[in-house]
Amino acid sequence: MFGFRRWCLLALSAASLLCVDAKSSTGDSVLVVVDPNNQDKYSLFFDGLKDSGYKLTFRSPKAEKPVVIADDVPNFDHVILLAPEARNLGKDITPQSIVQLLSLKTNVIVTLPTKQSPLHSLAAEFGLILPPPGSPLISYFPQRDTPSSLIPIPVEDHSSPALTKHIEPVWFSGIPQALSTNPLLIPILRAPAESFASETLVTSGSADALVESAEKGGEGLWAGSSLSAVTGFQATNGARIAFVGGAEVFSDELAQKEVAPYVKSGNADFSREVAAWTFQENLVLRIDGVEHHLAHENTTVAKEQYTNNDNVVFSAYVSKWDAKQGRWEPYSGLKDLQLEFTMLDPFIRTALPPVRATPGKYSTTFRAPDRHGVFKFIIDYKRKGWTSLQSSTTIPVVPPRHDGYPRFLSAAWPYYAGAISTSVAFLLFSTAWLAGEARDRSSRKAKGSKAE
Amino acid sequence: MIFSPVAVLLLAASAVQASVLTLQSPKFVVTDALGSQLRAEPFSLVHRTGTPVKLEAKDTLKITFQVVDKEDGKGVQPHQTFIRFFDPSTGEEGIQPIRVTGGGKAKFELNPSKPPLYLPPTSTEPLKVSLIIGTPNYDPITVRLFDLILPASQPAPTHPDEASFHVRPELHHTFRPDQKLPPKAVSLFFAGLTFAPWVVLIGLWSQVTPRLTHLFSPSILPFILSLVAFESLLLTYWVKLRLGEVLLYGAGLGLVTIFTGRQALSSISSLRKD
Repeated sequence: MFGFRRWCLLALSAASLLCVDAKSSTGDSVLVVVDPNNQDKYSLFFDGLKDSGYKLTFRSPKAEKPVVIADDVPNFDHVILLAPEARNLGKDITPQSIVQLLSLKTNVIVTLPTKQSPLHSLAAEFGLILPPPGSPLISYFPQRDTPSSLIPIPVEDHSSPALTKHIEPVWFSGIPQALSTNPLLIPILRAPAESFASETLVTSGSADALVESAEKGGEGLWAGSSLSAVTGFQATNGARIAFVGGAEVFSDELAQKEVAPYVKSGNADFSREVAAWTFQENLVLRIDGVEHHLAHENTTVAKEQYTNNDNVVFSAYVSKWDAKQGRWEPYSGLKDLQLEFTMLDPFIRTALPPVRATPGKYSTTFRAPDRHGVFKFIIDYKRKGWTSLQSSTTIPVVPPRHDGYPRFLSAAWPYYAGAISTSVAFLLFSTAWLAGEARDRSSRKAKGSKAE
Repeated sequence: MIFSPVAVLLLAASAVQASVLTLQSPKFVVTDALGSQLRAEPFSLVHRTGTPVKLEAKDTLKITFQVVDKEDGKGVQPHQTFIRFFDPSTGEEGIQPIRVTGGGKAKFELNPSKPPLYLPPTSTEPLKVSLIIGTPNYDPITVRLFDLILPASQPAPTHPDEASFHVRPELHHTFRPDQKLPPKAVSLFFAGLTFAPWVVLIGLWSQVTPRLTHLFSPSILPFILSLVAFESLLLTYWVKLRLGEVLLYGAGLGLVTIFTGRQALSSISSLRKD
């Protein structure tokens, strides 16, 4: 019996190795900081990650090892902080070290606690304005049996670029975040319009407290659909961090709870999608290469410099990470890629449309300006949720050489006529002189004889 | 009656008993700067007011109602009494709690000349105004009241980098206009003018024909040919050669011309000595 179970486990693990569901483009090792007593609460989420090929390392908030950063080198590719109730997460996980993790291109999922914690100041650094401690998001809508702090949030298709598939309503319990106008913030799950942040203990003074906090002005009231329950932030170097208002979104209990009769909640799908976006599985692009050459020639060899008014063809090759296959595939789906031809300021900005024949190739032809100088081909593509594409190729543009100007102009015909006439006349004259008879030969002979 | 002072822990499952709230004497009034009423209507929880409410810069909108329990008619102070302004075209939203007394009496005032911070910026569409009432142990109410048209406002402030996250306007370089050439007819005419001396020459030659007796003699013809070769080298240089090439060919041709020239000129001088 024991042997049979072992054999079954071996077979299952072998099978899971074969059917890897979705892989990250930056690596597989994940550190999960979670209280060991609560680890079973999130077993569905962790198993989903393991089935996709991630290697999870669990660490208690009180433990010191394994360290996230050692000697300025990150030990893990991704980090999940799933212990909001812990007072501190260890000496090496502080807001400063989390920011350093991001600058070292490690992706992080942070679950925010309802009570005051250093993670609140971390969220403020990223432009998230959190409600006062002890006021989670509550909503009396829709009317339901669960407490008002456990809210089913419907997810509209295409409401956030980070969610790539349809998701059933998600059970959420936690704090909302008000967003600043920073364009690097990507709300993944917006709070419903009727929800607001308030203390869970409703007394006779609660209504007046709400009114007074709103009259304080500015950010006094956290309410409505401008709030976000789960927010993502993509740093300029490509690293992603997700702020989740509460850890219960990932829990098994909410994943199996029904939102409507016979309809399971979308928590499992939603947790997987949040992990997929944050761990660089979805919406990850890169430029494979760029090339440029003159338009009218058949070669595609790049020139070292171009001349004013040349017609230049510029091509870029873009791939997208395919999480299911685990490799980079050429991607022609960018509809609004733009190219800038810049010398201090952009001289030319044109669209870079995809080429039908070659997947992943984007190409355009344009005329180099008639100012000479050192220019750059710049691709600077930033869209919310997607990796930013940056590419800069320096190319000199020189004025035409002495023989690069247009020649044989119609205005010069009189001069050509005159010069050619002169040459022809010289030839005729010299022929006539050389080949002609010396006229006065006989008279000279006569003169010579007479002189004698 | 004041809402029950016993604190209700929301984390416990709330009772199934669903009591219903309703509004007593709900109405809204639009008054202008002088105090005369422009529009005074009741609004209802059941159907939406059809015509949009238009507020000019100096008008005031006042909304009053009383929240009561439907069964016993006693006033209730709900936990959440919000008025929500929403612009569907831009997604901007503004929410303000309405001050409700212990007896359920609520009063809300809006004056566009002192615009409150929560009002969303206007766009081409009117704002949708709705009322949200929620409190434990009662059915929640969310209802569209009316559409509101406000005087135009500044657009919402955006982050300075926001524009770079969308398609940016195309830039084109204005090139210098192409060089303008005079019409070809003029060039042809003046080219023809330069041929005028040829006309004179041909005319004179028709009178006095030079005799080229020694043209094909073997001492003179090579020199004439090398002169012709020099002129054609010059023509080819003008068309397509470069300086280095023409100097190379010129050097070779020059060497040939030295010999043919010596031969030709010496033969002519010997002819002339005779």
